[in-house]
Amino acid sequence: MRIVIAEDEPLLREGLALLLRAESLDVVATTSNAEDFLEAVDKHDPDVAIVDVRMPPTNTDDGIRAAVEARRRHPALAVLVLSAYVEQAFATDLFAHGGSRLGYLLKERVGRVEEFLDALHRVADGGTAVDPEVVAQLLVRTRPDKRLDRLTARERDVLALMAEGLGNTAISERLVVTEGAVHKHIRSIFAKLDLAPDDRADRRVTAVLHYLNDLSRRGT
Amino acid sequence: MFGERVGAVWPGRARGGAALQAIGRLAAGLGTAVLAGGALVLVLVTAAACLAGVGLFLVPAALRAVRVVADRERTRLSRYGQEILDPEPVPASARAALRDPAVRRELAWLPCHAILGLLLGLLALTLPLSSVHDVSFPLWWKLVPVSAGNSSLGFGPVHNWPGAFAICLAGVATIGVAVVLLPAAARLQAWPGRRLLPPGHETDLALRIAELTATRAAALDAHTAELRRIERSLHDGTQNRMVAVNVLVGAARRALARDPAEAEEILSRAQAAAEYALAELRGVVRSILPPVLTERSLPDALTGLAAACPVDCRINADLTERCAVSVEATVYYAVAEALTNIAKHSGASHATVRLRRQQDRLCAEITDDGGGGADSRGGSGLSGIRRRVEAHDGTFELSSPAGGPTVLSVSVPCGS
Repeated sequence: MRIVIAEDEPLLREGLALLLRAESLDVVATTSNAEDFLEAVDKHDPDVAIVDVRMPPTNTDDGIRAAVEARRRHPALAVLVLSAYVEQAFATDLFAHGGSRLGYLLKERVGRVEEFLDALHRVADGGTAVDPEVVAQLLVRTRPDKRLDRLTARERDVLALMAEGLGNTAISERLVVTEGAVHKHIRSIFAKLDLAPDDRADRRVTAVLHYLNDLSRRGT
Repeated sequence: MFGERVGAVWPGRARGGAALQAIGRLAAGLGTAVLAGGALVLVLVTAAACLAGVGLFLVPAALRAVRVVADRERTRLSRYGQEILDPEPVPASARAALRDPAVRRELAWLPCHAILGLLLGLLALTLPLSSVHDVSFPLWWKLVPVSAGNSSLGFGPVHNWPGAFAICLAGVATIGVAVVLLPAAARLQAWPGRRLLPPGHETDLALRIAELTATRAAALDAHTAELRRIERSLHDGTQNRMVAVNVLVGAARRALARDPAEAEEILSRAQAAAEYALAELRGVVRSILPPVLTERSLPDALTGLAAACPVDCRINADLTERCAVSVEATVYYAVAEALTNIAKHSGASHATVRLRRQQDRLCAEITDDGGGGADSRGGSGLSGIRRRVEAHDGTFELSSPAGGPTVLSVSVPCGS
């Protein structure tokens, strides 16, 4: 897997590169601002880009805009965005055109190396990775919704993991249940929320995220 | 402490300083007097045109020109003493404008300043020039033709040494007269403006409220800017370094199974990153409110700044009581920014910080002997200090002619 990193903080940039190289992943370029990042992507044509949200030149959301631009130029590129804090607007911008090959994680998740590598591979393989914090915020904000109340506690757990982008196997491992049980829960959730059932993880994520996003917008 | 002690030991030097300051004021007053003369001509022409029945449309423009000149004089006077607030804008219609009390007072002030200000300003220029001319006379009288060898007071022509020295003595006497006369002349020159230019009592309060509203908004702005600065330094600095620590610890745990030596190396990096984060956090905490300011005193805090400044810096502090913490912090950061600027840009070898309390204001004056040319507009740190000071209803003045010296004066109401 060939990777380009865009992160302006040198310690973190080198730390990330060190971590990934130690896992035998191929870090082909590390960059510290949006412009250099886009250039590196054009030059190396990597499989995955790992991008920090706040970067020079303007130190606002340059990373998100660079990620969207890189995707426009290279539709097959997988992008994993790292952010110091959860911002709904960033997630909304990023997932505006579907969630395939996209991820949005808090920076501190990188410390949990296995889960981080898992998310990285998932994104590279065409899936989605959404930070649990984003999902939790969406769920909290949508509290007043009657339909969510119809879900059982276990179904809410499954919904949250589904929204993070996990596939059925991963969900069953996390919750320590059989895949068949997960499948049943998911069917039940889709029925209760009036969503069209879809087995493909990436489309499922965006459906769930859009659903929660719409609710939170109406609810607040 | 410094200024007062100098004044007690060498009263002559303090007087000389006062005279030099007076020359500066008189020269600045001469500038506004010339402008006032121009405005006076404009007003007289307009009046004559009105008598001829054709000038009415010129009245608002003429009054606005008078206002521009009067505002310059207000700014000048505010610099040397109690602040004079600008009045409401001149009413648009000629009739309403002529009924406006502020406009009427300005029209009364105009001829006074145009004549008195001009004469006193010329006096301020002539006295020093003629004293220099006379005192140095023995040095060059032989070099010029006899007919030109006059004293500036009109004696002469001079043909011999005793005469030349007499003129030199006359020059010394002129200096004595100038030292006594010029400060009084400066006060006299300011007098018409001090009497006639402040807004009347009826408008004073309303203007004060308008100004307070503006400075209050500026205070909120400064507060927001300050929060943003803290957020930036926490986010870009400390938080990112802690994330790096976390990543490195994660990597070390993974490496532990593969190769303990590699894990050890990564852990040592992680520790270095943690130490870096702590140092940065200390800096952020300090920049919010320096602990020494609350635990000790402002002079102590400034002494700490001076010690850290690469340019040789003396602190002359004459403070017995404390002010509100926010006021002291504002002055502290003004001095800190000024010293940073001096160290970075001025090329100075010495700097002096004078700190004193004048009635209910805390004043700091930072002087350096560098190359000058500092600018508080633009994106410099000084503009941030200006906002912060003005937000506390204080004044900020920067004098930095090319070639130096640079003097930054800050004064903030103590709020106690």
